Amino acid sequence: MQILRQTKLEALEKARSLGSDGVLALLEKRGLEGRGGAAFSTAKKWRGSRDAPADERFIVCNADEGEPGTFKDKFIIRHNAETMIEGILIAAYTVGAKRCFIYLRGEYDYLRPRLEGQIADVLARAKMEGVTIEIVRGAGAYICGEATALLQSIQGFRGTSMYKPPNPTTCGLWGKPTVINNVETLTCAAQAVLFEDWNNSLRLFSLSGNIKNAGVYEFPLGVRMSTVIDVARPARKLKAMSFGCFGGIMPVDENMQITPEAVCRENCHHGAYSVIFIDEGNNVVDVSYSIAKFYTYESCGKCTPCREGTIRMLNLLKKIRSGKGVKKDLQTLRELAVHIQETALCGLGQTCGNHVLTSMEHFPKDYEYYLKKNEAGESKEKK
Amino acid sequence: MKIKLNGKEIEADGGKSLLDTCRENGINVPTLCYHASLFPEARCRVCLVEMDGKLVTSCSTKPREGASIITNNEHVLKARRLNMELMVPQPSCKKEDDLEVCGIYEEVGMRTARFASIKEYKPDLGAAVIRDNNKCINCGRCVRVCADIQGVYAIDFASRAHNEHVTPYSEKHLADVACIRCGQCILNCPVGAISERSHIEEVVAALDDNEKHVVAQVAPSIRAALGELFGMPAGTLVTGKTVAALRRCGFDKVFDVDLGADITIMEEASELLRRVEKNGVLPMITTCCPGWILMMEFFYHGLIENMSTCKSPHEMLGMLIKTYYAKKAGIDPKKIVVVSIMPCTAKKFESTRPEMESGVDYVLTTRELARLVKMRKVDFATLPDEEFDPALGISTGAGVIFGATGGVMEAALRTAHFLATGKELEKLEVAEIRGMKGIKEGKITLNGKEIRFACAHGGANARKLMERKDDYHFIEVMACPGGCIGGGGQPIYRDPDTLRKRTEALYSADRSSKLRRSHQNPVVKQIYKEMLGAPLSEKAEELLHTHYVKRDRF
Repeated sequence: MQILRQTKLEALEKARSLGSDGVLALLEKRGLEGRGGAAFSTAKKWRGSRDAPADERFIVCNADEGEPGTFKDKFIIRHNAETMIEGILIAAYTVGAKRCFIYLRGEYDYLRPRLEGQIADVLARAKMEGVTIEIVRGAGAYICGEATALLQSIQGFRGTSMYKPPNPTTCGLWGKPTVINNVETLTCAAQAVLFEDWNNSLRLFSLSGNIKNAGVYEFPLGVRMSTVIDVARPARKLKAMSFGCFGGIMPVDENMQITPEAVCRENCHHGAYSVIFIDEGNNVVDVSYSIAKFYTYESCGKCTPCREGTIRMLNLLKKIRSGKGVKKDLQTLRELAVHIQETALCGLGQTCGNHVLTSMEHFPKDYEYYLKKNEAGESKEKK
Repeated sequence: MKIKLNGKEIEADGGKSLLDTCRENGINVPTLCYHASLFPEARCRVCLVEMDGKLVTSCSTKPREGASIITNNEHVLKARRLNMELMVPQPSCKKEDDLEVCGIYEEVGMRTARFASIKEYKPDLGAAVIRDNNKCINCGRCVRVCADIQGVYAIDFASRAHNEHVTPYSEKHLADVACIRCGQCILNCPVGAISERSHIEEVVAALDDNEKHVVAQVAPSIRAALGELFGMPAGTLVTGKTVAALRRCGFDKVFDVDLGADITIMEEASELLRRVEKNGVLPMITTCCPGWILMMEFFYHGLIENMSTCKSPHEMLGMLIKTYYAKKAGIDPKKIVVVSIMPCTAKKFESTRPEMESGVDYVLTTRELARLVKMRKVDFATLPDEEFDPALGISTGAGVIFGATGGVMEAALRTAHFLATGKELEKLEVAEIRGMKGIKEGKITLNGKEIRFACAHGGANARKLMERKDDYHFIEVMACPGGCIGGGGQPIYRDPDTLRKRTEALYSADRSSKLRRSHQNPVVKQIYKEMLGAPLSEKAEELLHTHYVKRDRF
């Protein structure tokens, strides 16, 4: 796996010899994009921070991997943390930052003692004047994986998202320019700087769900679905797949080539390529219900549509599943999902209706199954 | 830059928010969580407009060059309406409540509710300010006002998602935390989820009890604001009507707290001069504001010696009613019920302070008084103007301006100058401590000694001023923005110019007063002659002065 290649501080050395501009030009040439889901050019982000006027800058490594079905960052931290730390140092060098943070997911706290040792070790060998790396432990909120909420959390406030602009890149921690990159992005940054043969199209896939071989795999973009399924080894015929929770639920097409464009055609979003497989034995409405429960628990509560809308969507799904739903409930459900998407403040809210909209689009029969239950019940009562 | 606003091309300032741009162009956009003097948080999502086809919150978004902004198509209106439906599942608008949120129901065209309410909270029945989270719509204005304008940080949001709610730390009650009871949260609540703990029931019971001799005393700032609750424009002086209304409600006597203010000035000015002459602790800080006293007791334990020992004006007058007036009128003090009409929720707390023997039995806010007047079916607008009862009803312009920020200071300077030099202050109006600037300062020379003074209004400004308190000899602090005219018990206002108009009304009352200096008040002279002797005498100390305690924040 490319992601496991170790750079052994040679990448940092090369970065120093290239200079800040050289690193940015190289990353641009390699085409590195953020691996957290938004796929924003890493070179552009770093340049934005570097060139924003300020007396202090910060680097934040986002290791608050909270998306259900995603566990690739944990994999990297366990197996190649040194390269990730080197990536942080390269970012600090390029941007001109001294204080760096790793925002570690609360549930990953068991990785911390080892990570602390590795940080001390790399810092000692890297000899970067005045650069520190602090681990900040998340307290378990999904929302803190969102950049602005994460920054609030590091600063000691409640983890709630803020509107943009201003972007964290120019106005982040304590109002200073702050680069926030995902674990995979920073690891790739180190590798992209060092290795001439570095392949930009490889992505880490977290596979889980109704399959035998759940785990982290590396595939190139454009990989055929059948290849992925062969590796995953489902027990029964697959019916649907969901990219994390937020990406939406889409049917499994063995011939599909997995690219961002192909996923978008199904009105879904690839995110960090964490695929949850769902087989025939499931009704997609049940899946949607679980996802709705997740959002109802994890919304930060700041903006109205997300705070009040997620619980209403959950209640409607509950009603439909209990066999008491009517056609109008589907209408309201769709209306709410679209509304939250359109008017919520942050990425969480704007995507938390995806699972409802896509499951309605791709699996209308599963909804009809529950609605028919109600009609059957009603006609029985009439008799 | 050029943008299109509802199809019309206009010149817009790229540094201003869409909301400001819309309002400047005469287009109204409804808002809930937005507050003109606070940083926008964009949480309610009611001020949505369409920018190039996408919904954005106008309070937090700046226009893009050439953007097309639409504020009133069905897409926008439907999204606003749905957010209101989600926020306030059960709209209940009574006309007399005049809640801000009701105006927004109308604007977005909301009629019925589709979603059931999911809130089940126990109300927080504090001593002065009560909260009902079941009505709360999480707009967060109370939280931000408490933190950013008052600098108190008594409440914040807790929990996530639909469980998010406003609360003091650790789900405690307001009465048990470092809350200064200023009531600014009440003024900023659009749904009436926060209100004062009402004393109306107790007052009505006393009024209906023939055994009791019920006395009302009216604070200076009431006369500049009460009219608003009966449909009059802001800044209408209703002194005479207020007195008449109180008599119609059944009060036996109606006295003027301005007289209490005049006595406060006699005591406070004397205390200042004594501290200056005898090298006492300086700066001396005024203590007319019970919100500020609480703030000092919670956050500034080091200032306890700086605080003037004078009780606040209504507490002074309350004591005099139960001693001086009771003796003169030949009434048993135990039968006298003193009701203060105050612009303030913290006064409710003040009259229950164990550290202070209080002559005041109940405190009604301006809003409660209006409710009482309406309950008693008194038609306020058609009332004749009546005078305060003369026994304790003659006051000066110096007492009236107590209601505005800087007023106590100004009144004190007028008298201090006379007490120190034997001559009247020539320039009566101290311009540098008038107006709405957060911190104001000036200086005056008394007997060759320079006295530097400053005043702050709003808790956050007070905090700033305390950082450089040692530059001054005399400091006035009012916890509420604008002073008492902007108090937490005053009519809820939406026009930001209201405070200025109320202040102007008080200053005009001062200008038209025959007497404008506290020490010239004949009743004050009489009280000192007949009972107290002189300011700071033993008797005065016993009745009119108090002390303070250090309170734990947690």
